[in-house]
Amino acid sequence: MTIKILIIDDDPDLVLAARMPLEQAGYEVFSAGTLEEGLAAVDTIKPDLIILDVMMDTHTAGFQLAQKLHGAGAKPEHQAIPILMVTAVHQTTPLRFSPDDDYLPVDAFIDKPIDPKTLLAQVSTLLQKT
Amino acid sequence: MFTTTQSPIVSSTNERGLRPTRDELCQNIQLLIQLRWAAGLGILSVTAFARYALDIRLQTAALMLIGVAVLLYNSLLSLTCRGDTNARQVERAAWGQMILDWGAMAALVHFTGGITSPALIYFVIHAALAGTVLLPWQARSLAVLATAIVIGIALTEREGILPHVAIPEFEMSGTLYQNGTYITGVVFFFGTAILTLSELVTRIAQRLRQREERIRQLYEARSTFLRVATHELRAPLGAGLSLMHNIQQGYAGEFTPEQGDILDRVTRRLEGLRTLIDDLLTLAASQEVTAAHVPLEPVGVCPILDRIVEREMPNAERKNIQLTCDKSTDAGVVMAGDVGLGIILGNLLNNAIKYTPEGGRVNVKYRLNRPAQRIEITVSDSGIGIPADDMPRLFDEFFRARNTKTLQVTGTGIGLSTVRTLLDRYHGHITIESEEGKGTTVHVTLPLALRYTLSDG
Repeated sequence: MTIKILIIDDDPDLVLAARMPLEQAGYEVFSAGTLEEGLAAVDTIKPDLIILDVMMDTHTAGFQLAQKLHGAGAKPEHQAIPILMVTAVHQTTPLRFSPDDDYLPVDAFIDKPIDPKTLLAQVSTLLQKT
Repeated sequence: MFTTTQSPIVSSTNERGLRPTRDELCQNIQLLIQLRWAAGLGILSVTAFARYALDIRLQTAALMLIGVAVLLYNSLLSLTCRGDTNARQVERAAWGQMILDWGAMAALVHFTGGITSPALIYFVIHAALAGTVLLPWQARSLAVLATAIVIGIALTEREGILPHVAIPEFEMSGTLYQNGTYITGVVFFFGTAILTLSELVTRIAQRLRQREERIRQLYEARSTFLRVATHELRAPLGAGLSLMHNIQQGYAGEFTPEQGDILDRVTRRLEGLRTLIDDLLTLAASQEVTAAHVPLEPVGVCPILDRIVEREMPNAERKNIQLTCDKSTDAGVVMAGDVGLGIILGNLLNNAIKYTPEGGRVNVKYRLNRPAQRIEITVSDSGIGIPADDMPRLFDEFFRARNTKTLQVTGTGIGLSTVRTLLDRYHGHITIESEEGKGTTVHVTLPLALRYTLSDG
């Protein structure tokens, strides 16, 4: 059974950049462009992993979605899906997000621009944990 | 995606004027309270001196009473700007102070000769001071009220309704206060002086407030602009580079060596642009951090150092650089900014790695120098070093030494000027030793915040 990955990101170029290596690695890739589409897709597609962009059309869309899926009061079937968050906060900026259960309930981070090798490694690590 | 909006900037004078902020009010009120202590004591001491040393016949009892009253209500007023009072309460207290002062001044003028009193001049000065703590309409009203009080005292004394209190040594003939021409003359000069001065001061205070407000708005507009602009600039770069990486790593099919070379060149230029944008954001963030209104707070150095080293480790590994960190202790708190300290350490470590070729070494040493009451951080590398000629200009904004081109290092050279600005704010020091071709050592010291630093345990 092929592993399903859902990419939630409003930038079609980033979706493509993530889709290419993932599909070549044998995953089945779906994508959604907004918070609402993303939430609906989680229920219809039932992915094994979610790749989420930290900022979509609004400042906090990514965070909001992470809270909805993993935060307090989230459905257990949602909580079980690992989330890989794509951030734009580059290395030289001192602010650095790290997975923090209280604030940002995601399982791992990856910086933009996406390095395909790193992406595949992160995805495989997260999937192995489940 | 974000849309940028224009921030409104104050461009025309509002008739009613800007309200003073609570902080501005409190500052000015504190000044007035201090002046009032001097005034109260002055009244008492000058009265005593004039009466007992110069034998001038004054209404000593009345004047002493006024002085004591001033001191009394001043001590009540010094409770005005406590933490829990809001701006409206402080405004009302300011207004109340002025009214009390007007009463004291009226009494003072009456008991020192009414229209012949030398104290009239202080009334004028006081009206000017009022312009700094009151709203324009209040200041103007008080100026008019003062004039009315003086006219009232002059006329009631002249008509005998109010007994004239003369200072015999001043008024030899004792009838000046009944002289209509004299009264008119003094009232005219007093009135024009007080109204003009109070108007002037009010206008100056208003202009100051408007300038402060404009500066605040500009700051805000600039931060917003920088934040939005850098995000907008980063997003397309992030997307573009992500796709480039895909092609280069073979996920979009085969390409010829020539195409591969072009891809490398394009990627390198885009990476350079990305570094530039990140440096600009760092600069903007640091200027925000160094803005005067951001207070310093106690910050633990070690956690930040650990975080920065962890963050830069992948960069070092990518170039096979051995990155080591020696810490003699885990304590050490300085008065600084959390973000600012991260910027300083990040810049130094980032530079060390950037300007060290493959296979080199970078070492970070941290030491708590208790006798000297400071923490010392040393970042040393085995990199390309800095030419002696370039050393003096190292801290100039955007300066990059000549030999950096040899490493094809991308970077804008913003780092060190930012670092120095921040260190100045934190009362720290930085010195750099370097030998071209051998390496560079950067020493940073920061004074300990003794109250917050725990002893080694």
